[in-house]
Amino acid sequence: MGPLIPNELIPYEWNNIIALLIGIAFGYILEASGFSSSRKLAGVFYGYDFVVLKVFFTAAIVSIIGLLYMDYLGYVDIGQLYIHPTYLWGAIIGGIIMGAGFVAGGFCPGTSLCGVAIGKIDAMVYVVGIMIGVFIFSELYTFFEPIYNGYFQGNITLMDSLGVSPFWFILFFTIFGVVAFAASDLVRKRVKKVFY
Amino acid sequence: MINRKLAKFLSLQYVVLALILILAAAGLLLLPKYVKHEGIDTKELLSNTFSNERYISTDELANNIVNQDPSFILIDVRDSISFKKNSLPNAINIPLKKILNEEASAYLDQDQFDVVLYSNTNFYADQAWMLCNRLGYKNLRVLKGGINEWFHTIINPTKPTENMPATAFELYSFRKAASMYFGVAYLDAIPKKVVKKVVRKKVKTVKKKKKKKPEGGC
Repeated sequence: MGPLIPNELIPYEWNNIIALLIGIAFGYILEASGFSSSRKLAGVFYGYDFVVLKVFFTAAIVSIIGLLYMDYLGYVDIGQLYIHPTYLWGAIIGGIIMGAGFVAGGFCPGTSLCGVAIGKIDAMVYVVGIMIGVFIFSELYTFFEPIYNGYFQGNITLMDSLGVSPFWFILFFTIFGVVAFAASDLVRKRVKKVFY
Repeated sequence: MINRKLAKFLSLQYVVLALILILAAAGLLLLPKYVKHEGIDTKELLSNTFSNERYISTDELANNIVNQDPSFILIDVRDSISFKKNSLPNAINIPLKKILNEEASAYLDQDQFDVVLYSNTNFYADQAWMLCNRLGYKNLRVLKGGINEWFHTIINPTKPTENMPATAFELYSFRKAASMYFGVAYLDAIPKKVVKKVVRKKVKTVKKKKKKKPEGGC
């Protein structure tokens, strides 16, 4: 049956409208759960708040379990879903840069726009920083291009590259996630409380 | 008043949620495994098989070729030897054996053109149609009767007898014209050299009327 738009159960023209609605809902939930606060986001690096870790880990686990059940019941064809292509070194270097920016600025690109929406000045400065970064990257594109387009691995998933059964992998991943949540709670209790 | 039991249970809510997650993930392992079909559903395939919509008649095809309709491609599913012996104009040879090759799928699995499959009859073309339809390819047609039918209707159409309706004669003249397009020559269509007989015009001599003498009048 699904995915709904590629199989034309929903006309293609609705694509952008649905994306807009999902985007608004996503931004609302981000804001409502406090993700527009740079202190809360940076807390995961300093050990006083692990909400970011918990939210994104839970989102990943819930969606993969849900997708596999829906694939089994025939509601979604998991083979038709988009898998982000892997450019290995581009992803590693970009991830390090992005992580450094995350620690320093206290936002990731999505949440910074959330912060801008509620009028936080540090978020605005952060977005200007993003723009400067984009500008530098595009100016030096010819220099970065071999890394940007190189080391292409195709649209692979962890299960493909590890060669394990997806179901065992997901069970392991879930248990790992739950253990990580419990451990992060222990860490949080030991670290001095920060009020923000 | 605080409901102590409820409060105690609620303090465990994250443990419960984590357990639900783990149980759901473990449940995936216990699902009975089955191999998924690629392509369309079996029932849909059956209903497609019984439908006559896939057939295109030789007249329709001839009309499309003569009018240089760009919206279709012809696929010959016979082997390459008989393809070299005779084939329809601009046909592409994809033998039935090679129909699942990657090169073949470039022609068959696309949305831009109608694909008209043919073989000597419609037997092998139907098999090719069945395979491709099963894989979910779109816009597949089968030439009804195949090359044999093409020969009997377009290349060598039978002349209608005199007691047939006018439509039969129209169809015949269309087929005849189409076959001439495909290179068949008809004796009666060759313009005969007409030898002109030189006929002398008889010169009629017109005798001049003699002027009447004026008669008396007013």
